Amino acid sequence: MNTAVQILVSGLTLGAMYAISTIGLSLAWGAVGVLNMAQGGFLVIGGYAAYAGATYLGLSAPLALALSALAGAAVGAATYFFVIRFMLDCDNFETNVIIATVGLALIFENVILQAFGAYPLRQPVRIEGGVNIAATYVPYESIAILAASVTAMMAVAWVLARTRMGRAIRAVSQNRAAALLMGVPVNTVYLQVLTISGVLAALSGVMLSTITTLAPTMGYDPMLKAFIVCVVAGLGNMYGALYAAFALGILEASVQFFLGVRFGFPAMLLLIILTLVWRPYGVFGRGVTQRF
Amino acid sequence: MRDDASTVLEVRGLVAGYQDHEVLRGMSLALGKGELVTLIGPNGHGKTTLLRCISGLVRPSGGEIRFGGESIVGRRANEIVARGVVHIPQGDLLFPEMTVADNLMMGAYLPSANAAAETRLKEVYELLPALQERRFQIASTLSGGERRMLAIGRGLMSGGQLLLVDEPSLGLAPIAIEHVYSVISSLRQRGWTILLVEENVNRIIDIADRVYLLDAGRIVWEGAPHTLFDHQELLEVYLGS
Repeated sequence: MNTAVQILVSGLTLGAMYAISTIGLSLAWGAVGVLNMAQGGFLVIGGYAAYAGATYLGLSAPLALALSALAGAAVGAATYFFVIRFMLDCDNFETNVIIATVGLALIFENVILQAFGAYPLRQPVRIEGGVNIAATYVPYESIAILAASVTAMMAVAWVLARTRMGRAIRAVSQNRAAALLMGVPVNTVYLQVLTISGVLAALSGVMLSTITTLAPTMGYDPMLKAFIVCVVAGLGNMYGALYAAFALGILEASVQFFLGVRFGFPAMLLLIILTLVWRPYGVFGRGVTQRF
Repeated sequence: MRDDASTVLEVRGLVAGYQDHEVLRGMSLALGKGELVTLIGPNGHGKTTLLRCISGLVRPSGGEIRFGGESIVGRRANEIVARGVVHIPQGDLLFPEMTVADNLMMGAYLPSANAAAETRLKEVYELLPALQERRFQIASTLSGGERRMLAIGRGLMSGGQLLLVDEPSLGLAPIAIEHVYSVISSLRQRGWTILLVEENVNRIIDIADRVYLLDAGRIVWEGAPHTLFDHQELLEVYLGS
């Protein structure tokens, strides 16, 4: 019982973090064909923004979190204005964006390195304490991460399903030319998606740094995990990503508990290989049918 | 060439292409209010590209397009539809994962169209009752004929004055083609100005006011549809019929 609760808590916390890292990535790819390799950089900037807000400006935790979200939005929007916007009409947009955002990721990492140094920092924006559930100590931090990521995902789902902006995003993702013909300002949709994705990444950066530490390179691991989730779920499939993230979190926690911590990541890689063999388009993805 | 105040659309010396392949080489035509004009000509000679230039999906490299007296050349597609140019594209370009009703509502995305959405939806369902029956169905599960109807209905939801229809008979069974053309005729009676692309001359003889024959990116003949048959040489050269 005790073990099961422990694995569940740790798995759900991991899953929640994977989910929120993935959702921004998945949204940008699914809606506008941007496979954002700088997503990890967004996340690092979000984490450091909260740190800077709390440390230098003396902001309270909620305000520091808000500052982080703002920084994420700004970085997302800037990515559109300074990079993506100029590439929209070029051939092989999707491939070129990958290369351009790899470059961005390097810039972000080095800017943070210059500004804050390479030494890992403790994230001051956190909730201390915990509670005992079934004789297992559960940090409030884990509960907060789970709650925040579920809330964020529900908010994104609501925006996509119910708002005018969400309808436009879905339309662009399903058929860009048709969306244009309906009067959807497609460029604005790119901006909106990148901004939302920036906010989600920044918040996940704060959460991640509370359970690990702040470091300029801390974005790579969650990004790798986010890609794994995307591959398993089917890239661009947001709801699939949600299930896959939690399933993978629990899988990783179980493997770490029963086989040892070092087997957690190999187990995920094995799962990718099996997925690619069994369903190359992802568990929740659909095969692409081309009609001629 | 028409040149009076009732001119809805005027295209002059339009040049356009993809990469280094020029498709339109100085294309000129004009449509008067309420006219149904058909563009015929062999495949791959610029009919679809012309429509895509007018609606803003393709940016021409030269020439002029005027709609309602104002230049729209080089504007973005979402601005052009807001001015009243509705493009029903080849291959329908539906939103495959949305329901029929949601596809129609996407047609009313613009604020101006959204305000009139309820009335227009009623009109569309009246004109195309099959869509109402299937309003909760996902668009990708529709038959070819139904998809075409949905593409037309979605276009009508935008509202406007000029309808660009690209090969509405493409890939459909004869009975569905007949239905599509009866719908187009009734749209014309409702006051739309229509520019229609069609490969099959026989389809348009009875409904078109004028015909433009297009070859290698230029207009090579213009006239009333029935007089086309007085020019057997044109038919033979350009359409091979």
